[in-house]
Amino acid sequence: MGYNFTNLNVNPCKMCMPMGAVTALYGIKRCMSILHGSQGCSTYIRRHMATHYNEPVDIASSSLSEEGTVFGGADNLLKGLANMIRMYQPEVIGVATTCLAETIGEDVPAIIRRFYMANPDCKVKIIPVSSAGYAGTQYEGFFRSLRAIVEYAEMDETKNNKVNIITGAISPADTRYLKNLLTELGIDYILLPDLSENLDGGHSDVYNRLPDGGTSLAEIAHMAGAQYTIELSTFISDESSPGKYLADTYGVPYVRMDLPTGVRAMDALVAKLVEFGGKIPVKLQKERERYLDAMIDSHKYSALGRAAVFGEPDFVKAVIQLCAENGIVPVVSATGSACKMFHEQIEPDIKAVAAPVFVERYAMVDDADFEMIEKLMVDLKVNVMIGNSDGRRVAQRLSLDLIRCAFPIHDQIGGQRIQMLGYDGSLQLLDRIVNSLLGAREHTFREELYNKYYLGGETGKMETQAVVEMKGEVPVMAEKVISPADKTETHPCFNCSGGQYARIHLPIAPKCNVQCNYCLRKYDCPNESRPGVTTQILNPEEAFAKYKLVKANMPNLKVVGIAGPGDSLANFSQTKQTLSLIKEYDPDVTFCLSTNGLMLPMYAQDLIDLGVSHVTVTMNTISPKIGAQIYQYVNYMGFRYTGEQGATILLANQLAGIKYLTDHGIVCKINIVMLKGINDEEIEAVVQKAKELHCEITNIMQLIPVKGSTFEDMPLVSNKEITAMRKKCEGHMKQMYHCRQCRADAVGTLDNDESINYQMKQETNVIAIKKERQRFAVATKSGMLVDQHFGHAQEFYIYESDGETANFIEKRNVDKYCNGPDVCEDKVDKIESILQTIKDCSAVLALRVGESPSRRLEALGIRIVVTYDRIEEAVKKAANQ
Amino acid sequence: MGAGILEERKESILVKDHCSGNGKGIQCETQSVSGAVSQRACVYCGARVVLNPITDAYHIVHGPIGCASYTWDIRGSLSSGSDIYRNSFSTDLRELDVIFGGEKKLTAAIDEIVALHKPKLIFVYATCIVGVIGDDIEAVCKAASTKYNLCVIPIKAPGFSGTKTLGYKMACNAIMEVIKPHVQAGQIKKGINILGDFNLAGEMWIIKNYFDKIGVKVVSTITGDASYDTLIQASTAELNIVQCAGSSTYLATRMEEELNIPYIKVSFFGVEDTTSSLLRVAQAVGDAETLARTETFVQEQSKIAQEFLEKYKRNFIGKKAAIYVGGGFKAISLIRQFNEMGIKTVVVGTQTGKKEDYDIIESLVEDDTVILDDTNPAELEKFMKEKEADILVGGVKERPLAYKLGIAFCDHNHERKHALGGYEGVINFTQEVNLTMNSPVWRYL
Repeated sequence: MGYNFTNLNVNPCKMCMPMGAVTALYGIKRCMSILHGSQGCSTYIRRHMATHYNEPVDIASSSLSEEGTVFGGADNLLKGLANMIRMYQPEVIGVATTCLAETIGEDVPAIIRRFYMANPDCKVKIIPVSSAGYAGTQYEGFFRSLRAIVEYAEMDETKNNKVNIITGAISPADTRYLKNLLTELGIDYILLPDLSENLDGGHSDVYNRLPDGGTSLAEIAHMAGAQYTIELSTFISDESSPGKYLADTYGVPYVRMDLPTGVRAMDALVAKLVEFGGKIPVKLQKERERYLDAMIDSHKYSALGRAAVFGEPDFVKAVIQLCAENGIVPVVSATGSACKMFHEQIEPDIKAVAAPVFVERYAMVDDADFEMIEKLMVDLKVNVMIGNSDGRRVAQRLSLDLIRCAFPIHDQIGGQRIQMLGYDGSLQLLDRIVNSLLGAREHTFREELYNKYYLGGETGKMETQAVVEMKGEVPVMAEKVISPADKTETHPCFNCSGGQYARIHLPIAPKCNVQCNYCLRKYDCPNESRPGVTTQILNPEEAFAKYKLVKANMPNLKVVGIAGPGDSLANFSQTKQTLSLIKEYDPDVTFCLSTNGLMLPMYAQDLIDLGVSHVTVTMNTISPKIGAQIYQYVNYMGFRYTGEQGATILLANQLAGIKYLTDHGIVCKINIVMLKGINDEEIEAVVQKAKELHCEITNIMQLIPVKGSTFEDMPLVSNKEITAMRKKCEGHMKQMYHCRQCRADAVGTLDNDESINYQMKQETNVIAIKKERQRFAVATKSGMLVDQHFGHAQEFYIYESDGETANFIEKRNVDKYCNGPDVCEDKVDKIESILQTIKDCSAVLALRVGESPSRRLEALGIRIVVTYDRIEEAVKKAANQ
Repeated sequence: MGAGILEERKESILVKDHCSGNGKGIQCETQSVSGAVSQRACVYCGARVVLNPITDAYHIVHGPIGCASYTWDIRGSLSSGSDIYRNSFSTDLRELDVIFGGEKKLTAAIDEIVALHKPKLIFVYATCIVGVIGDDIEAVCKAASTKYNLCVIPIKAPGFSGTKTLGYKMACNAIMEVIKPHVQAGQIKKGINILGDFNLAGEMWIIKNYFDKIGVKVVSTITGDASYDTLIQASTAELNIVQCAGSSTYLATRMEEELNIPYIKVSFFGVEDTTSSLLRVAQAVGDAETLARTETFVQEQSKIAQEFLEKYKRNFIGKKAAIYVGGGFKAISLIRQFNEMGIKTVVVGTQTGKKEDYDIIESLVEDDTVILDDTNPAELEKFMKEKEADILVGGVKERPLAYKLGIAFCDHNHERKHALGGYEGVINFTQEVNLTMNSPVWRYL
């Protein structure tokens, strides 16, 4: 159950019991399985397996209906068994129950007995598996099948020299490894189950819909006489354990061992096999040595690892053992199964690896869902995830690597070939984990160390942290007829008295490179616009055209602004092209631009060259700590930065960029969104900083919470509070009181937004030349073709055509033209309603028209066109006839 | 028809023969045959897929974990807003809940969600056993609605109660329950609603962009990138357009009858259908200028798509297609798209096609084409081999079968990540078909 929920599972870290049951049955030779329940269970499970294994997965269903649910599903199941045998000729059938079958109390063994009575010649071994979805997860389901198989198979108690090896759901590649290992050690074994071929088959000329691999019933029969059983699971309950059953019933001694991942578990398995006469081949010795060598090579990198491991209990334990041996601290261990022994079995290893590096906090949870796992991962600062692909959403959100193992892998290919058993598999898994840790470090260590240790020269810490070096020289003001300061006079945002002047915001910049927590991407940047407003994006040519159009109608248009809807500099090529086009057309215009400042150092000189005179930078904070709370991430130079690291980069670039602009005489305004409890205490300091940087004005704005954004529930800042804050800051520098938080496509003066009039081309009165048009009634089912019988039509699509074009007028329902229920229920007079529906038409187009309706249509003077064609084509043809 | 075909299935297989005809047509709209390995899902699935793209709704699956686990974020429906729909919420019923009932747990689950997330809309799906153990989810939802003044809608969708089509209907009813309380008398109706597009790989966005371009206002996109706030606007539209007829015609009919919004069927698969559909909508709700804009737009776009198609056509000469998809609408669209590409359809089937769909299919295909309702892997294998199909268009379950038989494959189901709708879709589909059918790998088999 979830971290915040006790009655709700949020994003399950488990599947249901039938899934495990049918997977195990796939490891039995010539076995077909059927799920006794409703149709969906088998389809969902097949889809889930097909995506992972990339193999056809055929699982039947007894397709229980309402009737079967009420009166019992025996008939369905009996029929299903017969049908499966006909289609697949299996030697074994597994009948796994579902929630539904168990809840309505189906007695599957009894139904199977009935089947044998009705089909005395049937040689197929039919095995019932009780696997209600609510009784456990796929993990328990898998072993329940195995247990049922050994319970129901005919056994041969004659003593033999074989060793039974029983496994949970391991990958086909791992199964092949295990078989190879046993062969090389010279062990005579029976492997139950054997998924190596059936769920990872090859391509051949002949396709067998029932694959040929797996453990045969003949082999299984000898399990009762085997010298020993090794069960590679330490969590499964006695009631579900095939090893326990063989021991209790046939006296086969057994041991439960861990999955052989990591040195200790693999050594233990090999040692056990040596007890039964296994000879360690040189090759295996080399394999072990190579793994040890790899462990040493990697150990310093391994030590960086703080892992989250999730999945079935045996899998989690195996990975934790590997981690523990290598110095990777598994700070979050989770299984979706309700598993009593979980903590007890894994904690010693976690403790042992955590203690020497002074990691004191780690979490172990059973019955977990991904909501809980994610919360724990954040809390315990996990840096690598190990488990199936269901963890990918968490990994993505936390920007972590997910080392994909186990089942299911839905987003990558080759899930069936992932190896983690033996020295070889351990080595592969270790390499993958370590490479992820190395990759993360390689990408970040330069910036991290730079930010941590490089304090810069005399100009102070912040300014010198600009990641991009400045281009250009110190201010030499270009000679201009009108200076930026002059332009301020006519800029409505920078000058309150500029209200009579109009501006146009051109929405050409859709992308953004910073995710602010008060912003939801589907809307325009809430800093510049009212939340919830979405703007149609223009390309530079369209923007230029719009400018010309507006300028022609609005002589007081003085300012062209680029304000999003994303960030103007995250879309620099569009911004540049737009401004260049307009500048050429109208050299006197004032260019204004707003940005988050991330790319300012990169483009500041370009902006100056383009003639931009006013720049607004949103700078909500000058503290990376606070920034980390405001910005979810910063995308910079191809990398995504989060937390303080992201905030630091943003801040450094803002400061450096603003300084460069003001040094070059550009008028800068600083926007500050007031966020209660986050930056409100610090705003004054930001304003002081703005002053230091020679900015013109600061604009402290209210946050208007955007539904769906992280700050959705943040308390509103009242007008009073915002005014008080502005007053307080007025002592430092000029404050903007007249901000309207305009749209990214605003047009007009601040008080009179006329953007709506310019969103589409202006209406012009096009007077169509009316020709003589005829009206047609079309009988259609698909809505695309004339494909309906006239008498069957429930509705008609009415068209008008002059032979040149076909115009859709409306759809008419026959019912609406019905003359009262008495008439309409009479089949004969359905035609009457149809005639009522279409009486104003000059022709009818239908796939077919009966004799009697034909006569009645003719009597009304309505032409009949029998055709099968696209509607529009048919109508035009009819109009030309 | 030979081995591998079950007696009970014979009526659901039809080989087109226009001379002898077949008065009865194909057997369809029936329960699946037990043991036949149907590719169908269930009632719950039908309801879940239609409602899934309502992105800010909390979809709670009331039942044991499996149904929630297998439907967790498996669809390619994209969102421009909330991501809540991509989470799985389940009451995860256990043995004791089955014995003592799950109502309390469901009530508590809703309480928890409300306390933590302030939802606007909750759907509660009851799966197979919920009815059997006697939980009254309607009462629980009603109580929660009243307590929190919130839209909590029960969908009683036990898998055994019918086919996926019934689930569609339940979803349509649920949507009506969301819309109806917000209908105001005397509303001015303007713009259109788009029904039955699920915004797979952004298809709804593609279509919406078209309407933006031609100047037709889209009010609500009911089942693709939908949200509570836009859904409740739906009654202000003047026209509904229905894309996936199988899932949404019922909703359109209800909206026509109860809200007085007429609907028309459209299709955005293929060049011709997209063009006709846009023109028809412009004719129905636009003025002369809208229509003129639309005409220019469809001409430009058709030309680009057609030219693209022409270039690829030589790669398709003599190729044969097999189609196995969910509903009739998609099968019909695909046959016609393949026709546009010069590819002949030799096998075609659907999971839940209706009798009238099959009539259209029969009239569209050539003689000897095999038509299948609710088929299974064994039949697909047999007929694809017999008819020597070069490509199968289907869902994920069918893909490995096609590959094992050495047949190319194009994914046309809800999980895909490539847009197949609109003019862009024609280009994507053509590329998909080409790259799989003409991949070098087949040469080495």
